[in-house]
Amino acid sequence: MSIVTVQLGQCGNQIGFEVFDALFRDSHCSQGLCSKRDNEAYQASCRERFFREEENGVPVARAVLVDMEPKVINQTLSKAAQSGRWNYGQHTSFCQKQGSGNNWAYGYSVHGPKHEESIMNLIQTEVEKCDSLSGFFIIMSMAGGTGSGLGAFVTQKLQDQYSSSLKMNQIIWPYGTGEVIVQNYNSILTLSHLYRSSDALLIHENDAVHKICAKRMNIKQISFRDLNRVLAHQLGSVFQPTYSEDSSFHYRRNPLDSETVGQACLMPRIFVWSLSATNLSFYPQTGDLMEHLVPHPEFKMLGVRNIPQMSAASLAYSTFTWAGLLKHLRQMLISSAKMEEGINWQVRPPLSGLPPIGKASAHKEHHFNTSLANLVVLRGREVHSADVEGFKDPALYTSWLEPVDAFSVWKTQRAFDKYEKSAALVSNSQLLVKPLDMIVGKAWNMFSSKAFIHQYTKFGMEEEDFLDSFALLEQVVASYGSLGP
Amino acid sequence: MRRRRSRVEGAARALPEAVAALSRCLPAGPSPEIFRRAKFDRPEAAPVLWQLLLRVLSPLAANNTWTDLAPEAQACLVKSALGSQGYPRSVLLQFPDGSSQGSRELLLALSWLLARGPLLEQLLAQTRVQLGDQLPQWEAPTSPGPPAPFVEPKSPVDLRLVEWLMGRLRFRWRCLISSQQEQCILLSKIHLYTQGCHSQRSLGHLSVAETEMLRDPESGQQLLQALESENIRLEAALEWRRRELVFWQWMDTVLDTCSPETPAVTSQPTVLPAISEGGLGELESVKQELQALQEELREVSEPRRAAWEARVGGLGQGPEWSNSRKALQEAVQQELAALQGSWERSSTPGQPQRPHRLVRSKDGAPRPQGLQAAEVIRTLSAKEACLKKVLHQLQRQCQQELARLAGALPGLIWILPPEH
Repeated sequence: MSIVTVQLGQCGNQIGFEVFDALFRDSHCSQGLCSKRDNEAYQASCRERFFREEENGVPVARAVLVDMEPKVINQTLSKAAQSGRWNYGQHTSFCQKQGSGNNWAYGYSVHGPKHEESIMNLIQTEVEKCDSLSGFFIIMSMAGGTGSGLGAFVTQKLQDQYSSSLKMNQIIWPYGTGEVIVQNYNSILTLSHLYRSSDALLIHENDAVHKICAKRMNIKQISFRDLNRVLAHQLGSVFQPTYSEDSSFHYRRNPLDSETVGQACLMPRIFVWSLSATNLSFYPQTGDLMEHLVPHPEFKMLGVRNIPQMSAASLAYSTFTWAGLLKHLRQMLISSAKMEEGINWQVRPPLSGLPPIGKASAHKEHHFNTSLANLVVLRGREVHSADVEGFKDPALYTSWLEPVDAFSVWKTQRAFDKYEKSAALVSNSQLLVKPLDMIVGKAWNMFSSKAFIHQYTKFGMEEEDFLDSFALLEQVVASYGSLGP
Repeated sequence: MRRRRSRVEGAARALPEAVAALSRCLPAGPSPEIFRRAKFDRPEAAPVLWQLLLRVLSPLAANNTWTDLAPEAQACLVKSALGSQGYPRSVLLQFPDGSSQGSRELLLALSWLLARGPLLEQLLAQTRVQLGDQLPQWEAPTSPGPPAPFVEPKSPVDLRLVEWLMGRLRFRWRCLISSQQEQCILLSKIHLYTQGCHSQRSLGHLSVAETEMLRDPESGQQLLQALESENIRLEAALEWRRRELVFWQWMDTVLDTCSPETPAVTSQPTVLPAISEGGLGELESVKQELQALQEELREVSEPRRAAWEARVGGLGQGPEWSNSRKALQEAVQQELAALQGSWERSSTPGQPQRPHRLVRSKDGAPRPQGLQAAEVIRTLSAKEACLKKVLHQLQRQCQQELARLAGALPGLIWILPPEH
């Protein structure tokens, strides 16, 4: 089942490139720590999902690149072509000469309708090249103009045209002290529109990724490229193939073995693989991720955590145990920590009937993060011995959902990106409530003094739209708040 | 004397053979001995017959999970299914679930089902071995099957949990649709690549089952075994048809052995349609009324049409109108088809469709038999339009009900979910 990626704006295109690169590099990594057969199946699954075959054998990413300025797209395309290992398709990009000026309304109301047909045609072409479409992965930022406004528009059109396909939006949460003055307006408009038309919002905060780069990766001069690589690493650890918990650890014998193809049969090789790839119970579908994490329409925000994260130099000298990794990951979840350093170990799950230790009113930092649903992905050596019982504790979850429904775990022996063991957590919990609340508050302050509103209203937006967005996001904050005891 | 004795012996053999044939063509058919014990209401026959009835009544019983149910649950399901089919005898309902009483009543229920409709044919059709490719099931099942056992919730269920589960269902549904689309694409590829491989010229290409057979000899063996066992069942069914008279005569005796005070009038009314006594007379009057209405309609519409023509005059001609005219015509055709569909549906309730094999052929090639894909698409679009109409109607009713409720409680503000 294939995923079509739509890279929107400067941010979306740069990140998209790093994601494909990370996925490709990992799938061709020789230090997989698993059998050759498993490795081949892993590689093939990854390729079918994110790449397609071309005649010259170089895999082509299943992606559509959209930006209003040509500079970043050209850079992205040339970087991919230079690597020689994988490439973007020939006619899969769309750009114009003029940007959106960080104006959400310009992206949504002007660029969107004007270029709707060209962009949707590009996507349609890419979809037709998939044997089976699992869904769309849309990478965009929230604070700019193109990624946010045009991204919201495109997601809405995808909802109209491909209503039965899944959609996940990868959203970059801007720095708290960002450079764009109206980034809060752009953010709330984006979030509220996406909440209506997307299935899942996978959110990465620039501040958090920046800290990981500084503290864990020991990078002195942090560039956007470093941030994007960390991000791509986190996404890759979620999206690469795995076994799901209940499927068996056997899989069909490799049908590409030429002796099994009968002489009377005239089918070409590629077709045989397509038929059996869909029978592979090797990896769970994207639908599984959605079904386990975001079925409720009010709770669509997902956060990603991945440990361990360290520079390649330190990696060579480190060893890990599953017990240690999982303990840290669990505490990161409970205390809403962004990385594995500086975790607040004081926060504990509430005992049933008693209020949580460190009441929220007095110590905001000790607030216990109640989860709605969690997914843990474990990759690496001896993964069967990993004990995830700590995540099945009912105290971690909201009262109306049992841990058996709320928690799922995916495992594979195959190591990811040279990390001997790595654990990722995709969490639908109160992790993002505080940042969201802050952005809504700041935007409201600006709105109540009508600052910069004319920039938006002159492109067809109305104050009503702003009010609707505020109302929806307040509702989201309230819903997530009500999860806790 | 000898002839009479051999005739009697022949008659004595006929019944067990008939019952044996019957049990060979039923799925998981019990031995004839069970039937005999059931006539005398023996307890050991009861659990077997409960299971048999469950398999026969539930269209989903093909997968074995149903037979893993506890006997109480099985009995409950069978009773509710029989009730929904209109089974007249209420004695069966009185036996507690899971007991081993009532094997004679179970036998009566089974023969009632057999007598009532083409049960054997339906069962055999369900387990047909398919050599060709089928479309995914596009006939909505006419009977909804037995309702799920009612489970009392331990505590009030949180609405958010219900919304969560609904969301999961919706995702599964969407995944199902994607899988079906994928299946169609792959089928199309197989058909394209195996053109010219089939021995039958009229078909031209292989189906998935045939391709799998060529690729993997083991599956060919399995297919052969499946076909052989299907043959056995079909032969048994034919034999049953020849001998079934004996069985019915025997069932009469079983009915006679039941206690005479079983009430003839049932507590639940049957759902079989009854034609009223004055039916024909009513039909006449309805026909006359219809004709009168048609006359009236014509009288009213003609002057209006003339007035409209006068107003519109020469408009509507010319090239720029042709597109909109075409679109209008299509829309009108769809509406008409939907109306027709809603009339036709009530007249032909669920005739089992003969399964069709999917065959890909070049355009224009003469096809003497079978349905064209275009026809099927038209039928399905008509059905879709009809169902959409019904959906909109129901939604309007819901909205009206909500509005009424909102009006009834002044002082309460209702926030309705956003329109999609």
